[in-house]
Amino acid sequence: MRKTITVILLIIAVFVPFATSDILPVIGDPQSAPNTHVSDYYIEHAIEECNSPNMVTAVIVDYRAFDTMFETTVMFLAGLSVVIILANRPKKRIPAFSSLKRLKTADGRPVYRTINKDVMISVIEPLILIYALYVLFHGEVSLGGGFQAGALIGMTYLLDIMVVKRQRPIFRLSKAGSAALAGIGPLIYALTGIVTILGGGLYLEYNKFPLSVHQAELHSIGITAVEIGVTIGVAGTIITILNALMERTYFDDDND
Amino acid sequence: MTLILQAVLLLGLIGITIAIIFGKDLMISVVIYCAFSFLTMLLYNIMGAPDVAFTEAVIGVISTVFFIIILRSIDRKTK
Repeated sequence: MRKTITVILLIIAVFVPFATSDILPVIGDPQSAPNTHVSDYYIEHAIEECNSPNMVTAVIVDYRAFDTMFETTVMFLAGLSVVIILANRPKKRIPAFSSLKRLKTADGRPVYRTINKDVMISVIEPLILIYALYVLFHGEVSLGGGFQAGALIGMTYLLDIMVVKRQRPIFRLSKAGSAALAGIGPLIYALTGIVTILGGGLYLEYNKFPLSVHQAELHSIGITAVEIGVTIGVAGTIITILNALMERTYFDDDND
Repeated sequence: MTLILQAVLLLGLIGITIAIIFGKDLMISVVIYCAFSFLTMLLYNIMGAPDVAFTEAVIGVISTVFFIIILRSIDRKTK
């Protein structure tokens, strides 16, 4: 029954785009509305106005900074709702992640960790963290930005909690701590806007930062400040969800 | 050339989706979903949105791991 509904929905999802394709403008049509008004302005002014070679970042966190702020807040709320749904459920005992340690050699001795995962992961993890920082601070110059950096930091935590286990953790966060981090991110974002108001500008108007640097630098500083907020928010959300999921279950190889 | 690549990738996406729906083992479905995410990433890259492709690559891995963690506390086989 459920499968039939899924297939019907999928068929609808395939045919709706075809049915509406003659209403929408052709992809890449230079005469369509989005390509004649907004895009031209962004392409012509993004570099000089925002001091940011990556136009995607310029649009996301500069021209549409207000939009992105509430996007980050929505993500925080989504993380919180996952925690609320998953909280206070009975724990369930489930088998260990790696069944490798239960293998026996030919003469009956147990095989422990043929590859030392702890060492492997502890080499990879700092590299991923450094890459996350690179993505964060180069967000306005090259690919990436706050969202990607936050996701990479969340991925480090994920590797840490799943493989290294409790012997040599790089960092651990409690459920409350990670939820607080997820909230601090949007807060940093919002405070950046208040700082620009104190500097005499509009909310999130980066060139009114009360700093005595060159005018073009101010946009870079504003974008970086906002990106740091986004990174903390995304990383906190991912870690919150992961903690909530891991809390529901405990593993057989936890106490070895 | 780009158009052909896009068509191949989109057809692959449809095939993968059907495989995910009709899979008997949820673990296999989750792993195939990871491949879905990878194909989407290639598609974004071809369409000239490397920023989105980067996000998709990272989020694809994280969501796969989330699914695997959830799978460990429910029944693996579909009814």
